[in-house]
Amino acid sequence: MKRPLLLLGLLLAGSAQAANLTVFAAASLTDAFTELGRAFDARTGHRTTFQFAGSQVLRTQLEQGARADVYASANSAQFEPLVRAGLLNPGTLFVSNRLAIIAPQSSRAVTTLADLARPGVKLVIADRAVPAGDYTRRMLTAVEKAGTYGKDFSARVLKNVVSEEPNVRQVALKVGLGEADAAVVYQTDVTPALKAKVRLIALPTRFNQTASYPLGVVKGSANPQAAQAFVAFVLSAEGQTILRRWGFRPAPRPTP
Amino acid sequence: MRRAGEGLPLLPAALGGLLVAFLLLPVLALLARGLGPAFWPTLHSPAVQDALRVSLLTTGCAVALTVVLVTPVAWALARFHFPGKAALETLLDLPIVLPPVVAGVGLLLVFGRQGWLGPPLELAGISVAFSPAAVVLAQLFVSAPFYLRAARAGFGAVDPDVEAAARTDGAGRWAVFRLITWPLALPFLLEGLILTWARALGEFGATILFAGSLPGKTRSITLAIYAALESDLGPALVLSAVMVVVAFALLLLVRMAAGLRQR
Repeated sequence: MKRPLLLLGLLLAGSAQAANLTVFAAASLTDAFTELGRAFDARTGHRTTFQFAGSQVLRTQLEQGARADVYASANSAQFEPLVRAGLLNPGTLFVSNRLAIIAPQSSRAVTTLADLARPGVKLVIADRAVPAGDYTRRMLTAVEKAGTYGKDFSARVLKNVVSEEPNVRQVALKVGLGEADAAVVYQTDVTPALKAKVRLIALPTRFNQTASYPLGVVKGSANPQAAQAFVAFVLSAEGQTILRRWGFRPAPRPTP
Repeated sequence: MRRAGEGLPLLPAALGGLLVAFLLLPVLALLARGLGPAFWPTLHSPAVQDALRVSLLTTGCAVALTVVLVTPVAWALARFHFPGKAALETLLDLPIVLPPVVAGVGLLLVFGRQGWLGPPLELAGISVAFSPAAVVLAQLFVSAPFYLRAARAGFGAVDPDVEAAARTDGAGRWAVFRLITWPLALPFLLEGLILTWARALGEFGATILFAGSLPGKTRSITLAIYAALESDLGPALVLSAVMVVVAFALLLLVRMAAGLRQR
């Protein structure tokens, strides 16, 4: 953690002028990055504005020429194509996340993992293009492969889905409102605000999926220095502490 | 339309040209990208077919419900005066200016599981949220006022003397409505109905909040466009082109209905 700090110091010294930064970030980062942005702005004098949405929406917008300085995605599948297209500098994995199955306090329809496949249960998940939706389907396949809940577990669960939402925060919202019997979100989506309204359904670690979040500077950034400083701040001890406070896990070790 | 002896002044002509270009270019871009060689195969893809089916079915129900529920109200508002009428008329117009997402929240608060009517409906075995019925309710809420406004104007435009004459000839109230009022107001009704249908077809905000987005069930054309934009641009462009063509055709129909009215 020493090196990023040093880097941060150097970068902060280099960017004396206040810049307006636009950061596109996965919806699951909403709370953590909002706090992180405030800390960053207070420290540097920059003005950071966030656009939170499904990573796939942000990717499409960047492909269609949206102006941004930094992009943080909830998976590599919505990040690497932008690097390959020359729109984004190669990124760094900065945190990881895991799935959580939640059910509203008001409904007892789902109390175990097996209940997800019970006929008549109403599930809300993210669309398959959304990283959370992709991880959800992988998790279901992993459960099915284990064979504990029967051969067509995944298909039976997906049959109970009443809505495929455009981002993971919308999924969490529907359970928070008590409109669905259960939903699959990230562990970090169970924020203090949501915690009072939902129950967690146990999901064995071996079925869970690790979501790795890459972060990088957009090639056309008007403030590449400030953008780089933001990236450095996210990777710094202070940035990582904030992310950890919102439930994120450290990034997986980079593969050599 | 040209006034005798004068050409079109330069400033309005230039601004008009600018406006036309501004409105035309996005439409042309949508058509150019959407109506490519991939149009037919994409149009027959399951995602697009599902969206078209959901939209036709739900908007069909919404329009039918509009006719049944709104026509008598429009007639009554055009014929009778009663205390609180202005407030009622304003309330009925409200959805026109209300943001659709707000309408969606309101519908959820009433018909959702935790909503006012949710628990009794649930007891009766009816679950509205996340169903095609929720799509219909969302469309009905935001689009019915368009029909109401047109129908009210239509019934208001029917000469009361003609109705009175029919009544003195011995026609009952229903006969007068069926044989005189309704046919005379028909062009207005048609115009309102087309606008209502167009608005229902374009509904997005209330639907995604109240009905969710499930392929083949609640994912209407606009939701399908939004979902497709995130992965595969093809269906989004094809559906967008379809919407442009349909919207244009509907507005053309409105103009024709208006033409009928003026005769």
